[in-house]
Amino acid sequence: MSLLDVEDVTKAFGRLVAVGGVTLRVEPGELRAIIGPNGAGKTTFFNLVSGFFPPSSGTIRFDGRDVGALGPAARVRLGIARTFQITEVFPELDVAENLRVAAESAAGLAFSLGRGAARRAGMDGEVDRLLATAGLADRRNRQVGELSHGDQRAVEIAMALALKPKLLMLDEPTAGMGDQETHDVARLIRRLHRDEGLTIVLIEHDMRVVFNLAQRIMVLAEGKTLAEGTPDEIAGNETVQAAYLGESA
Amino acid sequence: MIQLVLFGVFNGLIVGAFYALMAIGLSLILNLSGVINFAHGGFLALGGYLAYSLAPTIGFWGALLIAPLITAAIGLLVERLLVRPLYGRDPLYSLLLTFGLAFIFQDGLRTIWGAQSVPFSPPAAMMSPLSAQLFFLTGYRLFMMALVAIAVGGLFYVLGWTRLGLRIRAGTRDLETLSTLGVDVRVLRNLNFGLGIYLAGLAGVLAAGQLGLSPTMGDGLIMPSFVSIIVGGLGSLVGTLLGGLLIGVASGLAAVFFPSAQEAVIYVMMVAVLLARPRGLLGEEGRVH
Amino acid sequence: MSVKRDFAVGLFVWAALLTMPFWMPAIGGYTGLATRVVVMGLGAMALNLLLGYTGALSFGHATFFGLGAYGAAMTIRYLVPSTPLALLAGIAVAAAAGAAIGAMIVRRRGVYFAMSTIAFGQIFYFVAFRWSSVTGGDDGLTGWTRAPLSLGPLTLDIRGSETAFYYFALALFAAGVGAMAWILSTPFGRTLVAIRENERRARFLGLSIERHLWLSFVISSTLMGLAGGLYALLNNFVDPRTLRYDQSGEFVIMAVMGGMRSFWGPLLGAFIFVVVQDVVSSHTENWMSVIGLVFILVVLFFPRGLLGLLGRRAPA
Repeated sequence: MSLLDVEDVTKAFGRLVAVGGVTLRVEPGELRAIIGPNGAGKTTFFNLVSGFFPPSSGTIRFDGRDVGALGPAARVRLGIARTFQITEVFPELDVAENLRVAAESAAGLAFSLGRGAARRAGMDGEVDRLLATAGLADRRNRQVGELSHGDQRAVEIAMALALKPKLLMLDEPTAGMGDQETHDVARLIRRLHRDEGLTIVLIEHDMRVVFNLAQRIMVLAEGKTLAEGTPDEIAGNETVQAAYLGESA
Repeated sequence: MIQLVLFGVFNGLIVGAFYALMAIGLSLILNLSGVINFAHGGFLALGGYLAYSLAPTIGFWGALLIAPLITAAIGLLVERLLVRPLYGRDPLYSLLLTFGLAFIFQDGLRTIWGAQSVPFSPPAAMMSPLSAQLFFLTGYRLFMMALVAIAVGGLFYVLGWTRLGLRIRAGTRDLETLSTLGVDVRVLRNLNFGLGIYLAGLAGVLAAGQLGLSPTMGDGLIMPSFVSIIVGGLGSLVGTLLGGLLIGVASGLAAVFFPSAQEAVIYVMMVAVLLARPRGLLGEEGRVH
Repeated sequence: MSVKRDFAVGLFVWAALLTMPFWMPAIGGYTGLATRVVVMGLGAMALNLLLGYTGALSFGHATFFGLGAYGAAMTIRYLVPSTPLALLAGIAVAAAAGAAIGAMIVRRRGVYFAMSTIAFGQIFYFVAFRWSSVTGGDDGLTGWTRAPLSLGPLTLDIRGSETAFYYFALALFAAGVGAMAWILSTPFGRTLVAIRENERRARFLGLSIERHLWLSFVISSTLMGLAGGLYALLNNFVDPRTLRYDQSGEFVIMAVMGGMRSFWGPLLGAFIFVVVQDVVSSHTENWMSVIGLVFILVVLFFPRGLLGLLGRRAPA
């Protein structure tokens, strides 16, 4: 059974059809990339899967359940975690606090009015583990708003990991980064996929990252699926080259 | 009985027209600039007092024409000097600023014109009842209703058919896009603020003729104006107009049959509307926030 | 570094509070004014749980302050001359109103949230204003005084001694502020700050924003009710102005002036506001203009507040 099973999903804003009948199946353990020119509907598609808004039509099944009508918080609890194109963090909190909020949410402690429960649930250790995974251990007390773009992105990914997701969705994880930062984030994603066995779907513009990481690629254009396949198939697909790769090269 | 109901409804429509005029001005400013103008009641009172001081020289009609314009000019100045630096900051700050302004307005009006309320009379011919049966129908009250209708109609004309109006409406939806099209958003907000204040000034002159003048006269009108906006639905001027008339009539009827609840009924209506329809009567979908 | 500094600041604040009745006269005040500072300070800090820590713009918090005051006053006037029961009644009324109003407005944000809080508050203002047979109407509710406190065999004469009442109020201030500090140090408190920082992120961490906002609103209203109850006891009097939106605005300006991102900021703001108001209103007819000017100057020149100027981060 597919972990994520999106069937013929459409999202229209008034007369503007941002996503028009997209179907996608993601198997457990897969690393899938979604590419496409600007305005192709990639982020809208992410928003549909993560529960930002409900679809106009079509079904979204996750882990065997129909989640189309659920809000974002409920989908997080089922195991869908995401990051945003423009990094969304808690800028005035420090790195450890950012991760702690996420970890405590995942542990069901967000309404806890005691300190003991968090201690018993091992939150300190959990935060340390996340800091180590994201390579942020030496920056744990730095205010996140003051960190470099790449480090903020790492914090955001670590927060998503704190939710212990079954599916991690990354919206342009390397957007606006230099070569070194891009390399670091790509390495982190690969590690999460290979070592932790995470299922990952990512939107990405940097083709080196896409073709390095992805096992399968879906190409969107004007809200529709243009092509779907392995990196080799996509690289050899003439429609894709004409519509997308040619244009950006 | 019928006469009492009519009396209540008519009085309510008059009050409601004031609420609506004031609330529409507030709404204009809120929708385009995200500012709750707490000093709106102060501007209203200022309009009334200016008319009071001008009338002996230029007559009631002259004052009716000039006082709202002076009020609007002061509004343009206030926006330019005090409100403009706060755009883009937490809405808390513009709220506090206009709150402080409201204090200063009230105190200033008291210092200049005295704490006691002063009478302000429209031409005597307009003040006598038109019929003994409908004793509450005076020429002035009908004239007032007509003028409010004209003002609101004029505003909708401006918004619907002039370049300024089109820009205001576009800016309310998407200010960024508008500014990339080369429209000077600062000027637009300034004029829009002035437009809102003009309506407050006009309401002030009319209210002065009906309710008399006191430094705190705006106080009694600003809260119902907020409620008009909430009841009518955020973002909708027509809704605001309806909301104002509706709570006006409700409070007019309460004043006849249950006088001690004439203010509270407004808020009870608000709660009822919010419970039944969280976005208000004509509020836009997804604009609960 | 920051722990040490917080400790030093806390020590200074408590030392100043414990000795306030003794140094207040030196700056032209009196014991009752010191009590007023503590009570308004509690109110401003309670508001700030919502305003500064949760990031929700309540401009109608006088509602809960006034309900606490009326709850306490009417309990003594009509039911039982007991100070503790009066305060409990005030707190309960404020909490219940907070729960009901909060439930109706937690989906609104920003200016719309603010506008709704103001409008809801007016309901209670007009009830107090119009229902004069019970509330005393515009003249306020008189004909009652706070009762001495009996602690087993001991009796603390908080009625006769202003100083005794000051320390009584300070003890409850400490309890209220202590509860807030505790809440802010728990996962729940951290979550509130996270919601303030980035609501979208918080939502996509699986947090139920509305429930958090609501709970924060209720806690804040409850503490506001305590402050209001103390205020009524301080004056042996309560009138509708405690419920009015001007009073709400004053709490907001206290919090902003002192610094809403710092734990003690609102207390500092309350101290300055209460003292300035006392001095100005006894020297000039035009005190409203002065207060209005304070609002404008704070907004234009000290938006981060006096403690914000020091660039400290709030303990979260």
